[in-house]
Amino acid sequence: MTVSQTSWTKPAPRSPVPTKVIARPNRTPQVQAYVPEWLKGTAVTMRHFFENTKERMLGQKRDPVLENFEGGITTIEYPEERRPYPDRFRGLHRLTMRDDGSPRCVACLCCSTACPAQCIHIEPAEYAEGDERRGYERYPSVFVIDELRCVFCGFCVEACPCDAIRMDTGMHPAAYDSRDQFIYDSPILLSMVGRDGSRKTENARHEPGDSTHPGVTRKHEAH
Amino acid sequence: MADGTIKIDGRTVPFEKGDTVIKAAYKAGVDIPHYCWHPGLSAPANCRMCLVDVEPPPGRPKMQLDVLRWDAGKNDYITVKKTKLIPACQQACSDGMSVLSDTSEEVAVARKEVQELLLLNHPVDCPICDQAGECDLQDYWLEHDRTKKRMMDEPVHKPKAIVFGETIVYDAERCIMCTRCIRVSEELAKDPVLDMRQRGNRNEVFVAPGRELDHNYSLMTEHVCPVGALTSSHFRFKARVWFLRSGRTVCQGCATGCNAHLDFDPRDNTPYRYRPRDNEAVNGYWMCDKGMLSYPEAHEGRLENALVGGEDAALKEALEQAAEKLSALRSLRKTASINGEEGAEPSRIAIVLSAQHSCEDNFALAYVAKEFFGAKDLFVARRADGEADGILMVADRNPNTAGVSLVAETLGFATPRPFATLIEGVAQGRYDHVVSLGGEVDVDANKAKDKLSRLKAFVSFATHEGTLPQVAHVALPATSWAEAAGTYINKQGLRQEAEQVLAPRGDAHPAWQLVVALARQLGFALSWKKRADILALLFPAPSDDAGAHAVSQNAPAQLEVQP
Repeated sequence: MTVSQTSWTKPAPRSPVPTKVIARPNRTPQVQAYVPEWLKGTAVTMRHFFENTKERMLGQKRDPVLENFEGGITTIEYPEERRPYPDRFRGLHRLTMRDDGSPRCVACLCCSTACPAQCIHIEPAEYAEGDERRGYERYPSVFVIDELRCVFCGFCVEACPCDAIRMDTGMHPAAYDSRDQFIYDSPILLSMVGRDGSRKTENARHEPGDSTHPGVTRKHEAH
Repeated sequence: MADGTIKIDGRTVPFEKGDTVIKAAYKAGVDIPHYCWHPGLSAPANCRMCLVDVEPPPGRPKMQLDVLRWDAGKNDYITVKKTKLIPACQQACSDGMSVLSDTSEEVAVARKEVQELLLLNHPVDCPICDQAGECDLQDYWLEHDRTKKRMMDEPVHKPKAIVFGETIVYDAERCIMCTRCIRVSEELAKDPVLDMRQRGNRNEVFVAPGRELDHNYSLMTEHVCPVGALTSSHFRFKARVWFLRSGRTVCQGCATGCNAHLDFDPRDNTPYRYRPRDNEAVNGYWMCDKGMLSYPEAHEGRLENALVGGEDAALKEALEQAAEKLSALRSLRKTASINGEEGAEPSRIAIVLSAQHSCEDNFALAYVAKEFFGAKDLFVARRADGEADGILMVADRNPNTAGVSLVAETLGFATPRPFATLIEGVAQGRYDHVVSLGGEVDVDANKAKDKLSRLKAFVSFATHEGTLPQVAHVALPATSWAEAAGTYINKQGLRQEAEQVLAPRGDAHPAWQLVVALARQLGFALSWKKRADILALLFPAPSDDAGAHAVSQNAPAQLEVQP
């Protein structure tokens, strides 16, 4: 009776590989006695243990990221310690504000047009009658980003003509307990600040609402 | 026929007597950039964008001017010769004339400088502007300028968001003073309500004191505006044009049947606006406000589900119910009863066609009525007449009145009688079965409901909720004009085709398909599968594709339907 070649219960016989016979190391009586070698190993472990404990107690621990990795504790104790993100790291989005606290976004829909993941939903609206900005500006009555869908490509930031959306918060979407919490609406997006903690943006448009706005009255007496 | 030819950049372009260079180029599909010129309006030549270099007749010198130019080497101004350029919208064509447009260096410089001048005081608020994406300033800047603004001063500020009327909002900062809107009011609407005031960079358009921009062509001022200065309050901030797609359709507002583009967002299947589609034979370049604002009818107030006794029902079930109600029509032509069941009298059946449905829908119903039901009496449901404005809008507010007459004539019926006659007939007990197309009628709704509710069987095919589907025993949901291709015959007798633009809502199907389904349910053999099967019966002459359908923008010539 022959065993089938395709049987998976038994490994197929290996092809003969040329082997080299290595002689067993010379076991000295010292090695064979075991205890001295064990004491040596324990001594190495204990040396590191006391060194690290001393560094920790005296606060001398070297930064595993910014300083060298030679010796010392190399573990990064996340989340207290974190690897620094690069300067241009694309994190969670934020919406920027004018000096008067209104959103800089004018709901032009350029970001949602550019978005390859189609995760941005905007509904434009016009300022009410009597508002100084009526006619000059429109604003997003609804601005929602689905951070679960977002692929963090940064196209929305590139597309924005008003520097209204940025990805410079330095944060990544945190693991929450519900998917709904990844749907960021405009109050959340407006509440976030940049990595340096500021809300300043660069914008050459100087709209009404900015302190850089020339303040020209555009009212016309006869209209 | 062409009266001669001119050459534009070496390309031969025919012209008719009286054509300007830009008009001949426009007809031939050669683009000469322009702002103020419009094929349907007079030419004031105030934007200077269409400057071209007209070569002198053989043996004559070129018209040139001396201009000063700074010479850095000499550190002084020097005198140089500059060709005198001519606006193409003012230069009449003469045979053999040679014009340089895209190939002339001097024309390119002139265009660039005109473009720069027009953008000097422009706010460049494209992110906010509704015109972005279809703006001539954007297109021509990209094509002819491509430089940053050099002026360091604060631009001149002018009034913004001025409400000109119910439909139009004006932004003077974006305006380039091409005066197209002024000319539309004056020349098309014959109501010179707009004018220009101030001079130079303080120039602005204004409404005559004490007036509003309220004539019936106010949206045409927005349509011709090459920039975002005039915006429609109905479209303002609603959508971005680059998300929209267009379908070629026919306006359903009146019997003129203006050719139109219906712009819709394919992502949510919603229509956003009409734009007139050029057709010299019907509407020129224009549409009236009433028509322009009728686009929401494509999706508002629609009958999306079948109704059985006023309750929502599945389409299949409703068709079965309708067949059940009309079961007497099965044994119609037999004088003796079948299985003890009495057949209906053909003279007691009334068929209602609709002047708001396409020829296909009407023909399908009339054909089934004649061939299978043996009906004799045709009526027509139509929207009540309104006012005519003497320009485009006519009193008959139905797009297919002529089509209904043609259908009746083709099938050998007498001219369909008005709906009020049917109501009288029902009141006198002359009819007990009614099959109707269309929802809107020109009679008092309550009276009609009261009378029609006495019928033995009433089946209605309707696009919109209205009197007839409400009172019908079974109402079947038909597609609106935008959801299925259809043929309409306007007041001139021109046969025009509207494309399918939107996806049908809910259970809606083209009415002719529902008629066929109902006929099959009743056991009649009807083999139509495509719209073309009906068209072949209705318009038996081989249709000339190039002329018969008004679907091509640059083929305005159409065949007249011979009655």
